[in-house]
Amino acid sequence: MMKKTILLSVLALVLSFSQVSANAEFEAAWKAADEKRMEAAAVGYEWRDTKKFLKQAKEAAEQGDLDKAMKLVAKAHEQSEDAITQQAREVHLWSSRVIR
Amino acid sequence: MKKHVAALMVLFAAASWSMLFAGPEDDRMAFEKYFTSKFPETPKHDFINGIYSIDPPSREQWLEIEEFPPYELSIDAGRSAWEKPFANGKGYADCFGDGAVRGQYPYWDSGRKEIITMELAINECREANGEEPLKYGKGKLADISAYMSFMSRGQKINVIIPEDDPDALAAYERGKQFYYSKRGQLNFACIDCHGSGSGNLVRADRLSPALGHVSHWPVYRSKWGNMGTLHRRFGGCNRQVRAASFKPQSPQYRELELFLTYMSNGLEYNGPGARK
Repeated sequence: MMKKTILLSVLALVLSFSQVSANAEFEAAWKAADEKRMEAAAVGYEWRDTKKFLKQAKEAAEQGDLDKAMKLVAKAHEQSEDAITQQAREVHLWSSRVIR
Repeated sequence: MKKHVAALMVLFAAASWSMLFAGPEDDRMAFEKYFTSKFPETPKHDFINGIYSIDPPSREQWLEIEEFPPYELSIDAGRSAWEKPFANGKGYADCFGDGAVRGQYPYWDSGRKEIITMELAINECREANGEEPLKYGKGKLADISAYMSFMSRGQKINVIIPEDDPDALAAYERGKQFYYSKRGQLNFACIDCHGSGSGNLVRADRLSPALGHVSHWPVYRSKWGNMGTLHRRFGGCNRQVRAASFKPQSPQYRELELFLTYMSNGLEYNGPGARK
């Protein structure tokens, strides 16, 4: 009986640590994605849905669906990277479209 | 022989320079020529009617709508606001005379080093007289703008970029860059839809030509169910290509308005308008 209790306590502790670790991982990923979004906004190229994905990620995490939350964060991060690349490209390409 | 080569090189350099660094007036003439050539059936002065200048079936519907224009209530509300004195006893007339001033905007204020639009000036008039500024985009500000636009009908678009002010030219160039740059998840520039794409169908709607785009604001848009300003539409366009929009009267949209209005110099203001 004693051994069983100890075993269950250890298991609960391990699970609790892994949950804390997953949450920390999410928080770090979310912060990085939001910083990338702000980087895109600073050059005037934020995409429409990026902020919405980050909001939905927070909500999913609060409901305990970390898998969904991480996928949304990854999508938001990727959008901002693409937006920054788009801006860097357009600095050179826009003038080729000018009506002359 | 050497002289000929040198002369050719000078000519080539001059041509390249003018291609790369065309001034606003060169831009405008090319812009106008593009649309008048693309839509040869449309008289130049008619481009102020947007999509209705190039799409006869839509024009018929629009002319019927214009018999009882949906923007009339907005003009009336704007007139009432115009006539109601501010708390200090003054009113809009102290800032804008009879209100027929649309043709003076937008302009580059060399002292302030910024673009002044009519909607910005309306709020500055209010604040100078101790009133709260109105929200940009729609509502009461759009009503006052509608009344002033109505009073200004027939005035010529005449944006001036002062040649002796490099900051003015830089602001114009930023507006031009915005217009021709692709943005958003759908990777579209304004010119993609309203230049080469103008006249094409997007689902059930035909895309309007950019020439004359700025003439008829604010607009009662059936999709909105109310009046909106030009900057509200800029925001909507940006969101349609899945880019985050800028705020009405942001520097970006004021620069865009300056560029786009300059492109329609010589045409008439005919706001407020009605659109789908």
